[in-house]
Amino acid sequence: MHRRSLLGLAALPLLAPPAARALDLPDGPVVLTLSGRVRQTNRGGTAAFDMAMLERLPQTSFSTRTPWYSQPRKFTGPLLRDVLAAAGSHGTQLRALALNDYRVDIPADDAQRFDLLLARLLDDRPMPVRDKGPLFMIYPFDQHVALRNALYFSRCAWQLKAIEVL
Amino acid sequence: MKPVAVPSSLSGELALDAGPQRLSPWFSITGLLLLATLLAAAFVQARQYALLNLTVQHQDDYLVLSLYQVEIEYLRLREQLRKDADTPGSPALQLRYDIFVSRVSLLGSDRARRLLEGGQNASGLMRDLDGFTRRADLYLGTEPRGHLSPQAAQALLGELEALDEPIHRVMLDASHRVASQVTERQAQVRNHNRIGLGLTGFLLAMVMLFAGIALRQMRKLEQRRRRLERLADELRDARIEAESASEAKSEFLADMSHELRTPLHGLLGMLSLVKDSPRDPRAVDWLVTADDSAQHLLRLLDDILDLSKLESGSLALSPGPVHLATLLREVQALLLPAAGAKGLGLHLEIDPTLPAHVQLDATRVRQVLYNLLANAIKFSDAGAIVLHCRRLGAGDGRSELEFDVADTGIGMDRETVARLFRRFSRADDPRARRQGGTGLGLAISRNLARLMGGEIVVRSTPGAGSVFSFHCPLQSVADTPTPPTPDAQTGARALHVLVAEDHPVNRLYMAALLARLGHRARLVDNGREAVQLMQAAAAAAEPPFDLVLMDVHMPVMDGVAATEAIRALPGPAGQVCVVALTADVFADTRERCLAAGASEVATKPLSLGTLRALLARRFGVAAGETAAVPLPLPADADDPPGLLDRATIHSVRDLMGPAQVPSLYDGFFTQAEDAARRMRDAMRDADPEALRRSAHTVKGAALNLGLPALAEAAALLNRDAGTLAAAHLALAVQRYEEITAATRALCVGEGLLS
Repeated sequence: MHRRSLLGLAALPLLAPPAARALDLPDGPVVLTLSGRVRQTNRGGTAAFDMAMLERLPQTSFSTRTPWYSQPRKFTGPLLRDVLAAAGSHGTQLRALALNDYRVDIPADDAQRFDLLLARLLDDRPMPVRDKGPLFMIYPFDQHVALRNALYFSRCAWQLKAIEVL
Repeated sequence: MKPVAVPSSLSGELALDAGPQRLSPWFSITGLLLLATLLAAAFVQARQYALLNLTVQHQDDYLVLSLYQVEIEYLRLREQLRKDADTPGSPALQLRYDIFVSRVSLLGSDRARRLLEGGQNASGLMRDLDGFTRRADLYLGTEPRGHLSPQAAQALLGELEALDEPIHRVMLDASHRVASQVTERQAQVRNHNRIGLGLTGFLLAMVMLFAGIALRQMRKLEQRRRRLERLADELRDARIEAESASEAKSEFLADMSHELRTPLHGLLGMLSLVKDSPRDPRAVDWLVTADDSAQHLLRLLDDILDLSKLESGSLALSPGPVHLATLLREVQALLLPAAGAKGLGLHLEIDPTLPAHVQLDATRVRQVLYNLLANAIKFSDAGAIVLHCRRLGAGDGRSELEFDVADTGIGMDRETVARLFRRFSRADDPRARRQGGTGLGLAISRNLARLMGGEIVVRSTPGAGSVFSFHCPLQSVADTPTPPTPDAQTGARALHVLVAEDHPVNRLYMAALLARLGHRARLVDNGREAVQLMQAAAAAAEPPFDLVLMDVHMPVMDGVAATEAIRALPGPAGQVCVVALTADVFADTRERCLAAGASEVATKPLSLGTLRALLARRFGVAAGETAAVPLPLPADADDPPGLLDRATIHSVRDLMGPAQVPSLYDGFFTQAEDAARRMRDAMRDADPEALRRSAHTVKGAALNLGLPALAEAAALLNRDAGTLAAAHLALAVQRYEEITAATRALCVGEGLLS
């Protein structure tokens, strides 16, 4: 089981910590919008990310079993806490919104306590919408047995499009 | 003499030791049950935990929510397609399609398939959905083959609408299945809960049982501890009792040695006086004192002997028909002199409803009554002693005979009463001690009363006198004259008595006694000679003997061996009545004699009265006796109470002969007046010891001559000379002189003095 992908880290350009710099402007289509209590904004009071911006954040990989796949699958992407830091989030509650209008509230603390992953690759491949993409919030279920229950399964928002920081 | 009573619970205690061992199996059985229950409870909980984990892993209920999303997305897609049917190809339709496909892919997962399996609609739906996505992917897939024309959109819409019913049905199936799974799981959980509850209940019961057993064990231990403590207390009490009994015995021994030495010294002193100057006119006086001392000594030894017999249980009663009034009058007559000497009345009251003859051991009843009356007289200074004999109706028809002895004496407090009947203890009162006595009288009396099936109780208040009640079962006998004793016909004849006694003085004494009673005595020195004489008698070489008085301790052949040898003789000689004489007070000597064949055992020294009684019992009343025994008591004259004891004077006159009496009394008064002078001298010289000595010489002689008041006055001086203040001493001496004068005057009036 992979914890953090060294390969992913190695692929990063040598950059200062993301929170320290102002947020780039998105070049491509925006895949994730952080609104609410965010300090680093780049579009109309929100922090908008395209896939490239997310790719530039430190990447993490792990394989875990999930209720949605019969086999353990490998997920790769930035940690949610890094994304939140990049956006200068200072709320306590996160409201995740999915393309299918699914919404779920997640305590911001979860991002600190767990390696909560904002997966953009499934088995090293980008996820189209029909494969629950483009972004999939995923908890490291195999690292913490306590996570293996309906509460945390429900917090795994797939087809994620926006996070409202409350 | 009596073994110390071992507490009765002692033997029971030892059995207790088995207790804890007997309990332990219950303890371990309950413990094991408890353990088993706990294990079962743990197993049930583990099962429950496993069940819960299974649920989490399958996540069926969560999955069904996802499946519902399929239907929702289906509806959204259909809605979007309907909206875009004319102008298909909008990004919104593409998004809705993608989301729908992502939802449909969930149906293909293992878990979803397991959930849907068995639903006959599911596989058909999957095929239909597959077909739909394959066709839709031509226009809306990741790599579209062509642009979605309105016609194609219409066709897809038609196809999509056909899926409405199957999707809905499959979703319902799935939700029903999950519902039934949930129900089943709940039933399982409920079942587990029920088992758990049962186990908890059982556990509770086991814990209670365990606690109960533990509690019981603890209580048993507590009881055991308490019983052991009680036992220890009892043992301690028993030890204390034993120690105090032993102490009392030692004290008694010391007291008794002193008591025995006093009369013995008196006896020896008087005898040496007589020996040194046999012609002295006072010799008779001395002999009377010696006799008094000897009698006193004898009484002490009798008491000890009685107590020894009572305690060893060897004393047997010999009840017979007794004329009650006669018995009581005898006792009264015995004690009248003593009562008269103290100026006390002694009255007898007999319940007229009592039968004339009753079944009693006359000797022992007399002894008890004598004791009680003597005590009453001893402790009373004025008033009267009343002996009241009456019937006591016991509730159950059995009657009892009660003898009440009421005195007007000093009375006793509760503590003294409690101590009263204990062996070897005298009322611890200086006055009581002054009265002397062995302290055995009451103990003996009570033992005798109990032996008769009765009891002695006492009611007393200090200063108000005491009532001693002696009661025993009343058995009346028909008022027939007492049958004559078998030997009554020998009554009038002189007996031929063989006396075996090694001590010459005792031999002479026995000879004198027998001569006095009118019998012929043959004296020998030891057992062998006695046996030889008996052999000769058997061979008709000697006149036959009626009685052998056999001393037990003799040289050459002792009394026991001689008795055995005599009993071995043929013919009537072997059947002769042998009375063993011993100074021993011990029961075993007595038993040895009886075992050797002695007809009875008598205690030495044999007094005239005892010998007379013995002969009367064995052979009827002997003839030829020189003096009539029941001395007629002269009626009380009107002289001041207590100055003269007429019974004693009478016996003195009887013993000495009228001719000797005047010189005897004359000599005494000379001595008494001389003593008074010496007392005055002693007072002047402040020499209480000399005073005491003078008083002492008068005391004994005055008693022997039947002058009790004078004796009392002398005794007081003798006792208190060392302690009285001078003024009181002078008064006491003056009183002594007055009494001497008054007594002398009275004696002159009686013709005792010339």
